[in-house]
Amino acid sequence: MEIPYTVKPRPDTGLYNAKLGIWLFLASEVMLFGALFSSYVLLRVGAEPGTWSMGLMDLFVGAGNTMVLIASSMFVVLAWAELKQGNLAGYKKWKWATIACAVLFLCVKWGYEWPSKFKHYDVWLNNATVLHEKFDEGYHEVASHGEHADDEHEHGDAAHGGDVEKHVEKIYTTRFFKERSEPSHAAFDDAWRNGTLALSGHINAYEEAQIDVRITDWKADAGVSEADAEKALAKQGAEDAAGLRLNGGLLLSKTGYDIAKRAEYALGQAGFTVALSVAGYERVEAHPWMWRTKRVNEDIGGKPRVSSIVFGLDHSHHQEITLDVGDIKRLSAYEPKHSTFFGIYYTITGLHAAHVFGGILIMLYNMLPIGLGLWHRDREQFTNRIETFGLFWHFVDLVWIFLFPILYIL
Amino acid sequence: MSATSEAAKTAEAIEEQHDEHHEHHEQSFWRTYIFSTDHKVIGMQYGFCGLAFLFFGFCLIATMRWSMAYEGQAVPFVGPLLEALLGNNVARGGVMSAELYNVFGAMHGTIMVFMGIVPVAFAAFGNYVVPLQIGAVDMAFPRVNMASFWAFFLGCIIMTVSFFIPGGAAQAGWTSYSPLASVIPTDGQTYWLIGMIMLITSSLLGAVNFIATIINLRAPGMTWLRLPFFVWAQFITAFLLLLAFPPLEAAGIMQLMDRVLETSFFLPTGLVVGGQDVDVSGGGSPLLWQHLFWFLAHPEVYVLVLPGMGIVAEIIANNTRKPIWGYKYLVGSVVVLGFLAFIVWAHHMYMTGMGTVISAFFQTTTLIISIPSIIILTCLFISLWGGSIRFNTPMLFALAFLPMFGIGGLTGLPLGFNFSDVALHDSYYVIAHFHYVVAPGTIFAIFAGVYYWFPKMTGRIMNEFWGRVHFWGSLIFMNLIFMPMFAQGMAGMSRRMSDGGATYSLANPDNADITVGALGDTIMGLNVSISAAAWAMLVVQLPFIVNLFWSVKHGEKVKSDNPWQATTLEWETPTPPPHGNFTKEIKVYRDPYEYSVPGAKEDFTPQAQPAK
Repeated sequence: MEIPYTVKPRPDTGLYNAKLGIWLFLASEVMLFGALFSSYVLLRVGAEPGTWSMGLMDLFVGAGNTMVLIASSMFVVLAWAELKQGNLAGYKKWKWATIACAVLFLCVKWGYEWPSKFKHYDVWLNNATVLHEKFDEGYHEVASHGEHADDEHEHGDAAHGGDVEKHVEKIYTTRFFKERSEPSHAAFDDAWRNGTLALSGHINAYEEAQIDVRITDWKADAGVSEADAEKALAKQGAEDAAGLRLNGGLLLSKTGYDIAKRAEYALGQAGFTVALSVAGYERVEAHPWMWRTKRVNEDIGGKPRVSSIVFGLDHSHHQEITLDVGDIKRLSAYEPKHSTFFGIYYTITGLHAAHVFGGILIMLYNMLPIGLGLWHRDREQFTNRIETFGLFWHFVDLVWIFLFPILYIL
Repeated sequence: MSATSEAAKTAEAIEEQHDEHHEHHEQSFWRTYIFSTDHKVIGMQYGFCGLAFLFFGFCLIATMRWSMAYEGQAVPFVGPLLEALLGNNVARGGVMSAELYNVFGAMHGTIMVFMGIVPVAFAAFGNYVVPLQIGAVDMAFPRVNMASFWAFFLGCIIMTVSFFIPGGAAQAGWTSYSPLASVIPTDGQTYWLIGMIMLITSSLLGAVNFIATIINLRAPGMTWLRLPFFVWAQFITAFLLLLAFPPLEAAGIMQLMDRVLETSFFLPTGLVVGGQDVDVSGGGSPLLWQHLFWFLAHPEVYVLVLPGMGIVAEIIANNTRKPIWGYKYLVGSVVVLGFLAFIVWAHHMYMTGMGTVISAFFQTTTLIISIPSIIILTCLFISLWGGSIRFNTPMLFALAFLPMFGIGGLTGLPLGFNFSDVALHDSYYVIAHFHYVVAPGTIFAIFAGVYYWFPKMTGRIMNEFWGRVHFWGSLIFMNLIFMPMFAQGMAGMSRRMSDGGATYSLANPDNADITVGALGDTIMGLNVSISAAAWAMLVVQLPFIVNLFWSVKHGEKVKSDNPWQATTLEWETPTPPPHGNFTKEIKVYRDPYEYSVPGAKEDFTPQAQPAK
């Protein structure tokens, strides 16, 4: 049995099967990304003023990645052209160049762009007064470090004039509206008065709970023998396991969250009743990733896991303010959950990156002996295969060319 | 394959068969019957899975009908089974809980549409028959075809497994409207979404393959207007699947993001669930889900119906012994239908308050799309005129399809107008309407197709007597199930109520002072008769199931490769067709339905018969 037109085109349609197939596949891909682009439009048009937080993208990095993909699209054609001339070595050269571009693209996306967003936060505060106070506090710091005012000259008038609100409006409108206009001014005014603005920046440090772990009870009928229960205690670092089991008492003092939780779970399995309480808070200098309101507010014996965070409003470490977690309404890194903009950003770029990744795998297959075997059996079919891959690759490139403006520029 | 290509090109028919025989010997049992790339085996795999799921989906609704007729009473026979399998928190003492009713309702729709009818009507018949009817040796991409089936199979496993996870399967209806579907705390919806993504992938691979096959692998002489109508119907269906499914895939991915990564694509600002603010950013749009869902799900209606129309056209031409009346109108209509199917979706959303301008637009397109549908049905009706009709089982089912689909289609008109839809929306009227389209419509066409092509697949004919029992039983009970639902719907009974509307009925003492909107005893009483008809329907399917398996080994043997004396190419193959299908060079000389040509020796002239 031989299926016709696997290599030579059918005369009346002018297409070999795979070329027809890849165009049909791309048609469905157009509908897939088309639906996501349409969703982007609908969500953006429906967004409340001042909530479409897209002014945060690094245009330079995005533009660089665009150039990298465009170059790869050119290389993929050159690889095919070399095959058409029967030059396998030339094919390999350009194909490696394509793969290098694709890998570079993903490194920038997954190694730099995404992770840097996971360390960047927005904080919404409970009421307008707290927000205004914190803004004042933050920008007051700038004024007192006058010598630094010039390396952030856009903050200059806030430093000197002290008109925090005007300064904040400037930052805010560039982020959400790209320009200062009547609607942007009105939206800012509204958000400023109602306190719905978010502070954005990094968590430079925080005060995390030091937890005491106490044994309050042990149930003999939980199905764990005394010896096993004591072994479980000893495993958690108890010195007098038997005494602790009988009388209860302090097991771990001022320990970290993870250790305390692990002990609570393991001892719970062994029939113990364990109480966690906060003995104090310790300041930790770190830039945590992907924290959420739920995490900082987690209840440990009636107290929050984190009592306050030191929030840097910019990179300079001078506009630092300390936020009590009680004042925080919502805390979110720039992760998908942050807002519908970031939701659609990660969905579309993630799906696109998955296509790039799949493309890399196919290209590698076509470079390895297993894929090159076809070249030695049937040169024309292999060349066709590279051509159909090229069509797919151009499509992936084209998707990015639409993505770049809607996510970075417009 | 290409190693043997040079040899095969020049080989005579017998040599080719020999060559292929040689290839075959190297294939293990697994490669021949399980991980096969042969379009016929894949077609039958789809067929068996799909029929099994149709039966399973029917069992789900048969169980639900008990809850509607006798709410709060233990389900006989299956009650203990439900309690044992699904746990006593959803089926305590064999009584179906409202949660379990929701699970079964959502999964009944999902299974019937995506795992039952599409696999059988499109994938099974399409895979088996389309390459044969166009004179191709196989599909254009056999391995993609196999991948398509296994993606489908994986999706089915995920859906089936989801019944047994804590909390059970999806509960938000087959339409999975957000925010409900996004905020239900059990994991069923997440499984549903992952399962759907697998099923969509399967459809995508299948659709690419069908279209490429029909465009590129037609035998010499098989021009576009010599294609049997069934092939045309499958061709348009494949385009609908190719282009309408990806938006649902996008929507599925977004709802998955909502559920797993806590985004709020479909969750509006200020959403409160169970009295608590939901900790999400908000800013999403529930309407967006409905748009994306119905952008698929309306074309999906035509995916369900067009293959059925194709099957019915083949059988009517064959059993009236005359050409289909208006073949070109049929083709034109089905193409127009394919285009229009993409711009009618929001007629499912009149009640969302999307605005009168949009409603007016979609009302207009919806009524325009009824024109090609009516042309198709009219052509099929006129084809009967003056025919010498053979009333065999496939023909009976095909004949019943016409008025049943007609009822389904015409009762859709009041739903297409937004002023009348406002009253009928989400009532049992809607249920009756779309079930008339797909149950006595498409499912009858599926039965017709099974009885019609069974001899080609096995070399034996299914038992005619039990076929008739199956037909008359199905026809009667089908109508006893769905006809009363029109009355219930017009009386105001809402769908998706586990007590069959008892909460709202006049018989409910709590409603003693309500006069408007309450349901009378007659309407409520219909719940019992409909349920009884549904269980009787289940019983009359047994002859079909037994007949199907029994006839494989014991059915009457066919006397020739063309037992129905048909004209199309699938009957030119040996029976059952070997790998590679044809043992002779196939060339097409004439139109698909040359029955009773004046002056011809017999009353049928096959497409492959050369002109004198």
